[in-house]
Amino acid sequence: MWHRPRGPDRVSAWAIEAEGLEKRFGPIAALQPLDLSVRAGTSLAVVGPNGAGKTTLLRLLAGLARPSAGRLQVGPADPDRRRRRAGVGYLGHATLLYPALSARENLVFTGRLHGVADPDARAAELLEAHGLTGFGDRRVSGFSRGMAQRVAIARALVHEPPLLLLDEPFTGLDPDAADALAARLAGLHAGGRTVVLVTHGLGRATAFAERVVVLRRGTLAVDMARGDAEPRAFEQTLRATLGPPS
Amino acid sequence: MNVLRAVLWKDLLSEWRSRDRLPAMLVFALLTVVVLRFSQPGASLAGNPPGAPGLLWVAYVFAAVLGMNRAFALELENEALAGLALVPVDRGWIFLGKAAANLLLLALAQVTTGLFFEILFDVDLLSVAAPFLGVALLGAVGLTAAGTLFAGISVRTRYREVMLPLLLFPLLVPLLVGAVQATAGLLGEGRAGPAALQLLAVYDGVFLIASFLLFEYVLDE
Repeated sequence: MWHRPRGPDRVSAWAIEAEGLEKRFGPIAALQPLDLSVRAGTSLAVVGPNGAGKTTLLRLLAGLARPSAGRLQVGPADPDRRRRRAGVGYLGHATLLYPALSARENLVFTGRLHGVADPDARAAELLEAHGLTGFGDRRVSGFSRGMAQRVAIARALVHEPPLLLLDEPFTGLDPDAADALAARLAGLHAGGRTVVLVTHGLGRATAFAERVVVLRRGTLAVDMARGDAEPRAFEQTLRATLGPPS
Repeated sequence: MNVLRAVLWKDLLSEWRSRDRLPAMLVFALLTVVVLRFSQPGASLAGNPPGAPGLLWVAYVFAAVLGMNRAFALELENEALAGLALVPVDRGWIFLGKAAANLLLLALAQVTTGLFFEILFDVDLLSVAAPFLGVALLGAVGLTAAGTLFAGISVRTRYREVMLPLLLFPLLVPLLVGAVQATAGLLGEGRAGPAALQLLAVYDGVFLIASFLLFEYVLDE
């Protein structure tokens, strides 16, 4: 069995390089040829309207889908896909949880899949960190969407991945929980992790990310770093590209 | 190996709590045996009725397909399949974990159905219980190896309940030939022919190895 590396090197090496990245589903181009270069340790937000290709891009980055064309390198240059998967913490549209299992069992299971040394201790640590200590032994099937989302976020962090790919992580969270998550993501990013956040909410995107890309109809419409413009102009440019809310 | 154990534990625990598969497999297999029994012309089937081994394996195959379809349906809820696909080891270990869970459930269904079959068809399976369990196990390994692979392939298709039997049944022909011949040998002569056993063993080996290697690609979109 392959063992994931530990220590700071894991975090520093996780950049993203995409050249001519394209994904087609039959005749439909979900993602047009796209170039994207993300330095390790960057917090990147991907925004765009429905059907822009945000989720497709995230699934390609996670290694859950294969590109139809183009080149994609995520993390260290290594042809072994297993190593790439080891460094990815992924949260999709859905929670990726098993409803018949408890929150703790879901986390322990994920820990075992990823070869975490003490999955029980890690699960307890994450339950506490996400305010779920009293709910750890309840089945996920009985959780509200917000509670399940908190477990799902904890699940993505079980193996301490250097790259976090999060698709609408604020979905279902109440304002306090959303703020707590935003603070936690900021902390994870400050620790050197690369964080890619897909969201509809431009406010969350600009508050969290140092760089924002806007996708429209599968193409990269805007790619701006926070330092490229004054804060107000930064948000105004992005808002103008996104257009009025649909 | 840790991934195999983790997936096996998760599947069995989920089944224990939801009771989603085994009861359906049992009911379906037993119903098949009843229907087949009463479709036989003549009242008496005493001794070793012709076709009995084939009928028994028809019930086993139906139960197995039903169980394996549901095995992956559980991964679709909340897109849990994506979580499995991100394991940092060969995805073949996921295949082995799911196949092991399917094998255990199928084995339980086989034993129960076998006892029911013995009573209803008046065949003497108990006198050859040990070799029959061996043949049933060899057949079940092949069934679950091929079935788990094709359940994984068909899980994302729109008509997965139909796709699995369509893909799987033609490939099961060699396995069923071996299993039925071996069972017929046991019921008739008290021993299974070596050719049938070899066929089962080769089928099991080929599908276990091929499925382990191919599962890496099965979980990709």
